[in-house]
Amino acid sequence: MEAMEIDSEKNLQRKQSIYNSLDEKFLIHKETYRGQQYSQIYFARLHLMRTLLYSLVHDWKPHLPVCTILGLEEGKECIVVGTLYKHMKLKPRILDEYSKERSATPLVKPHNFMHPDDHLILEDESGRVKIGGTMLSPSAYVTGVIVALHGKESGAGDFTVQDVLEAGLPPQIEFPLKSKEDKFVVLFSGLSVGSSRSNPLEFQLLVDHITGHLGDEKEQGTAAQIVHVVIAGSSLEIHGGLINGQNLTPKDQSRMSEPIKELDILLAQIAVSVPLDIMPGPKDPANFSLPQQPFNRYLFPGAAAYNTFRACTNPHCFELDSIRFLGTSGQNVHDLEKYSEAKDKVEFMERTLRWRHLAPTAPNTLRCYPFTDRDPFLIESCPHVYFVGNQDTFATSVLKGSEGQLVRLISIPKFCETGVAVVEAVSCH
Amino acid sequence: MNGNSRKRPPPTPHTPQPSPAAKHQATIEDEFVDEDVFLDETLIPEDEEAIILRDIEEREAIVARLARWARPALSDDYLSQAKNILFQQLEMDYVVGECRKELLPDWSGPAAVIRIFGVTTEGHSVCCHVHGFEPYFYISCPPGMGPDDIARFHQTLEGRMREVNRNSKVPRFVRRIEMVQKRSIMYYQQQTSHPFLKIVVALPTMVSSCRGILDKGINIDGLGMKSFMTYESNVLFALRFMIDCNIVGGNWIEVPAGKYKKTAKNSSYCQLEFDCLYSDLISHVPEGEFSKMAPFRVLSFDIECAGRKGHFPEPSHDPVIQVANLVTLQGKDEAFVRNVMTLKSCSPIVGVDVMSFDTEREVLLAWRDFMREVDPDIIIGYNICKFDLPYLIERAQTLGIAEFPILGRIRNSRVRVKDTTFSSRQYGTRESKEVTVEGRVQFDLLQAIQRDYKLSSYSLNSVSAHFLSEQKEDVHHSIISDLQNGNGETRRRLAVYCLKDAYLPQRLLDKLMYIYNYVEMARVTGVPISFLLSRGQSIKVLSQLLRKAKQKNLVIPNVKQAGSEQGTYEGATVLEAKAGFYEKPIATLDFASLYPSIMMAYNLCYCTLVTPEDVRRLNLPPECVNKTPSGEMFVKPNLQKGILPEILEELIGARKRAKADLKEAKDPFEKAVLDGRQLALKISANSVYGFTGATVAQLPCLEISSSVTSYGREMIEHTKKLVEDKFTTLGGYEHNAEVIYGDTDSVMVQFGVSTVEAAMNLGREAADFISGTFTKPIKLEFEKVYYPYLLISKKRYAGLLWTNPKGFDKMDTKGIETVRRDNCLLVKNLVTECLHKILIDRDVPGAVQYVKNTISDLLLNRMDLSLLVITKGLTKTGDDYEVKAAHVELAERMRKRDAATAPNVGDRVPYVIIKATKGAKAYERSEDPIYVLENNIPIDPQYYLENQISKPLLRIFEPILKNASKELLQGSHTRAISISTPTTGGIMRFAKKKLSCIGCRALLSNSDHTLCLHCKGREAELYCKTVSHVSELEELFGRLWTQCQECQGSLHQDVLCTSRDCPIFYRRKKAQKDMTEARQQLDRWNF
Repeated sequence: MEAMEIDSEKNLQRKQSIYNSLDEKFLIHKETYRGQQYSQIYFARLHLMRTLLYSLVHDWKPHLPVCTILGLEEGKECIVVGTLYKHMKLKPRILDEYSKERSATPLVKPHNFMHPDDHLILEDESGRVKIGGTMLSPSAYVTGVIVALHGKESGAGDFTVQDVLEAGLPPQIEFPLKSKEDKFVVLFSGLSVGSSRSNPLEFQLLVDHITGHLGDEKEQGTAAQIVHVVIAGSSLEIHGGLINGQNLTPKDQSRMSEPIKELDILLAQIAVSVPLDIMPGPKDPANFSLPQQPFNRYLFPGAAAYNTFRACTNPHCFELDSIRFLGTSGQNVHDLEKYSEAKDKVEFMERTLRWRHLAPTAPNTLRCYPFTDRDPFLIESCPHVYFVGNQDTFATSVLKGSEGQLVRLISIPKFCETGVAVVEAVSCH
Repeated sequence: MNGNSRKRPPPTPHTPQPSPAAKHQATIEDEFVDEDVFLDETLIPEDEEAIILRDIEEREAIVARLARWARPALSDDYLSQAKNILFQQLEMDYVVGECRKELLPDWSGPAAVIRIFGVTTEGHSVCCHVHGFEPYFYISCPPGMGPDDIARFHQTLEGRMREVNRNSKVPRFVRRIEMVQKRSIMYYQQQTSHPFLKIVVALPTMVSSCRGILDKGINIDGLGMKSFMTYESNVLFALRFMIDCNIVGGNWIEVPAGKYKKTAKNSSYCQLEFDCLYSDLISHVPEGEFSKMAPFRVLSFDIECAGRKGHFPEPSHDPVIQVANLVTLQGKDEAFVRNVMTLKSCSPIVGVDVMSFDTEREVLLAWRDFMREVDPDIIIGYNICKFDLPYLIERAQTLGIAEFPILGRIRNSRVRVKDTTFSSRQYGTRESKEVTVEGRVQFDLLQAIQRDYKLSSYSLNSVSAHFLSEQKEDVHHSIISDLQNGNGETRRRLAVYCLKDAYLPQRLLDKLMYIYNYVEMARVTGVPISFLLSRGQSIKVLSQLLRKAKQKNLVIPNVKQAGSEQGTYEGATVLEAKAGFYEKPIATLDFASLYPSIMMAYNLCYCTLVTPEDVRRLNLPPECVNKTPSGEMFVKPNLQKGILPEILEELIGARKRAKADLKEAKDPFEKAVLDGRQLALKISANSVYGFTGATVAQLPCLEISSSVTSYGREMIEHTKKLVEDKFTTLGGYEHNAEVIYGDTDSVMVQFGVSTVEAAMNLGREAADFISGTFTKPIKLEFEKVYYPYLLISKKRYAGLLWTNPKGFDKMDTKGIETVRRDNCLLVKNLVTECLHKILIDRDVPGAVQYVKNTISDLLLNRMDLSLLVITKGLTKTGDDYEVKAAHVELAERMRKRDAATAPNVGDRVPYVIIKATKGAKAYERSEDPIYVLENNIPIDPQYYLENQISKPLLRIFEPILKNASKELLQGSHTRAISISTPTTGGIMRFAKKKLSCIGCRALLSNSDHTLCLHCKGREAELYCKTVSHVSELEELFGRLWTQCQECQGSLHQDVLCTSRDCPIFYRRKKAQKDMTEARQQLDRWNF
């Protein structure tokens, strides 16, 4: 702020807002790997979602009986709630490493594993049934989504679906009264410091812009309205070859720690002037499976000295002046892209909200911690802003829910590739 | 037809037990014995039948439930007998009973009635009783025997027969003796025929007793004591019938309306049951319309037994708790019946009819009723013949359910069981029962796959992994009882597992096209389908030979099993392999079906063979006789065309037609049939040679087989010489060609050119040129080029195979350890990866580096344990082994630790070799991999290096590298060694645990710290390392455990599978354990 005082005559004051972190449910404290399996997370998910869907079914088709999969009878129309499982021919499996003779041509890794023969299966604790009929398109659904289906069992043992009920957008806390002043939140992702794609100049410009070191008064005025910065993952890229369990030479040691130090300096620059949330992402030095845990403070000793610097989880949830933000570093959408299709990224985001689940493909194809008694990825309360990081392009739209919910959806591009950071106005939609 | 040869005990009064079982040795493949089954003895008497019927009434509810799967109802045409009955026959047997008087008014006494079981196009089941066919055989007629002599001979023979078969109530043993004009198939003869006596006997078993009398010698008035060579006396009655009526296995048979009579009282459960005369049958050649398949019902089933801990289930103790069934109509994709019968309640399963019962008796009887109602034509399963079926029957016997084993198609007829002992490497030696289910074909996928494929393991799990690329969830038998003793949900769990085991055989059957291939094989060779699995190759050739001989008016002698006396003969030749790594294209010249071609080209047959004396005696001109390189003489086709060449020509011609039709065919079923046929024809053509060479077979003739191989050797040498003479720089070619290797029917040539295309052109030229020098139809073909080619020694090589110059087709290896099962996975991976790098990437240094890295990983204890697991089958208990073996010792040790989970005889024992005290024997150092993982026991890298990977590696690298052994096994990469400290036992009891610095392993005095003072400042770097380790493990953990969920087919239930055959079983366990440790490390950073 000192710089500003020297350069400008008017003393611009950075606006402030009240921040409230809601990351608690994504933190893994004392939970460890004690032999628990993934069945429990599915169980918890089904249990919660079923209670919810049952209450909705009452308004949807009150005349129909509700069954478990066990209770299905041939020809009897009913409603069943269960977890979808998508059977996919091309889905990569770890067993392929063993069962197939190593082919001469290396397997190309496709970006999408869909196949016309894919089909859906509905499962609950009692059993499974193959889904028939054209109502439910396998291309739009993925394993792990919980839905209520209206249909009947056909002679062949299939369940012919006539209608589908998704949970829909969760209830939203009321949007706070419009404040008089404009406030902004800056969101960006994919800095990839340490990779060849990262451009230190662009990043420095961004930092300077945020901190108000750039532009004329007007621009500095805008900068002063930035109340919060969120980095949605993939800030670092550590050279993979360096980590192989062997002791490093001093040269390699510095090659590895250099990018981290570089980032630390810039993060500190931001943290000096604006509150900063940093989420771990796909390539960051953090654990791999969701929810990714906050960066260790040893990584960024400089920035961590400021209380405005917050290492957060991925997914990340917080409230700013009672406006609720929810977002991920992009893994959930990337996984949906591989196993289903939609017209754009925003549609994937819409779906996860309607399914009330941030990452339905976890644990099936998206790695996640084997929770035992809960599923932290369920979206119980509808956010006002929902973002995903590390996408190819910037995209945004506003989603309206049936109960008047309004959600701003943002696909944040990779900064290192596009040089784009997203500025979101907090005060109005 | 009954699956295996059986010896029948002398007829005994009826007992309520299933036919008393005769002790039977492990069957020798080619022992042919008929067994007369007396209808009145096998059937359950009336009073007992009443009990069963009453029982059935009580069980009406369940029967009604099953009735909806019954076969389609008969139309009026059938009911009024106005329609020809056309059906595809599948199974054939005969019984001894009274003839139908209307059909054969002159006959009296018991006679053999052939029963043909089959299915019509509409899906009706058929049981056709064929009357009037009599068993017979031939002897050569002694010279000067007139009609009067025959009558006297008849009397004498009848008298002798009566002495031998005292108990028999047959009024006349030898029905008649006719004089016929025939010729023996053996040796070339100028005369077209000689007198033979056709001896017709009353019952099929009398053929062999009569043969015995004639073999030993019989006193005939006027001729004195004389023994006779018998002809065609070893042909099974049903096969005899098929041959004489031109019926081949699995073909369509038609009985015209009016020619058949509905049976007065149905003896079977078939919808259409009738009597007819054998002369009225119309047998259709399986071509065109008649090559189709009837809609057979295929039942696939599996049972579960509740074993006791530490024991393999035994029918005398352990109950049958579930039976899962799947019935599919031939040609349909989906099963139309899926059900499971369970003991005690079981929660429902979607799409499956779950039938629960309170007692085991009800379960078994429900299955029997199901069998009757659904009426399957073919019963399939995995190891059903040796396990499931005998188990059910013995269990019923233990429980005293006399009415259970009525599983066949004959009313009130119990299945027949007999004891066999079978030994196999996999299952050890076990007493077992063999079960005959009348009218239904048993097709055990285990037997079929063992016969047709060479695999490293034949467990259902690894077979389905191999063919269907699917792992099967494996529930350990110690858990089965726990699941059974739980609640409806846990039993449901078990039922799902059981159903999967019933479903997999069906999938394998479809995937491997077994129905098509076996029916076609039966059609081509003319034997019943059930012979194909239960008997060897030779019966197939014999059947063709008998058919052909019959056309030519020849008879086949029943040669005594001369066996080893005839000695052996020289086999195929293998040219010296010039080992090396060839980086120029190697062309391969192959003889197309070499042995059949040789037999055709040189007219090699039983009936063209001439002895040197005969050549002289008959004064045969030399241009009419061929002398083979082994010195035998055969006449040329102008004098006598051989039968074997004719059979071969037909087979090869038929294969060409089938292949041409296959190209034209559109319909997938037609395609399947044709493909099955061409395959059957190919196999049959190749087995003819083997038939003449097998010394224990029906009609060995080493003159033929040794001639064939001698020609083969000559041709390989000839080819080598021609290639090396013609393709030289002197002959105008760029390089001198060199034959680097040759085996049985192929020669590998290095033409010296450097492109694949040039090698292909020269290869084609050579093939055409050399083919021109051979007698037709012997033909040398050029098909493929290897480039590059790694020749290790004879019968061991690897190379990239090219069939067109644009790109290689695949990597082809022979004789290199990639599949041997007593190697650990590491060997396979290492060898495959090295070959890949050498041949495809052409990167020898890369391969060397890869080997070094792997060895270093092994020594540094960074190897995935699952790669080091060695698995061996436990075939007998420890005391029975003469030498101590690692897996046996381990099994004993594990039994001491926990008898419940220790491996039993028949199980496969996985183990790793661990470090132990100096001088400990290898067998003492085996350990359970799970135990090793849990207790951090150090493995012995040296063992793996020396005993597992060094030999295969050196084999590959020796032709490539100088000093391969020194380079690979002794370099600097072998210096660093790391060994994990065990958590139990030994010195660890006295050790005190202290934390060390994550950076430099220096001991920390203050346990709150993560790093020592010296390493302060490296936090970021060291943290990155720790966290990246966690990341990797997390990813692996997720991939492994979700894979198990997929296999298990459920997301909401915990994975139970303990399949040690599964490659990820140990990895899964290790990932879980490593994860715990890695997280602890990571947590040290959070303070």
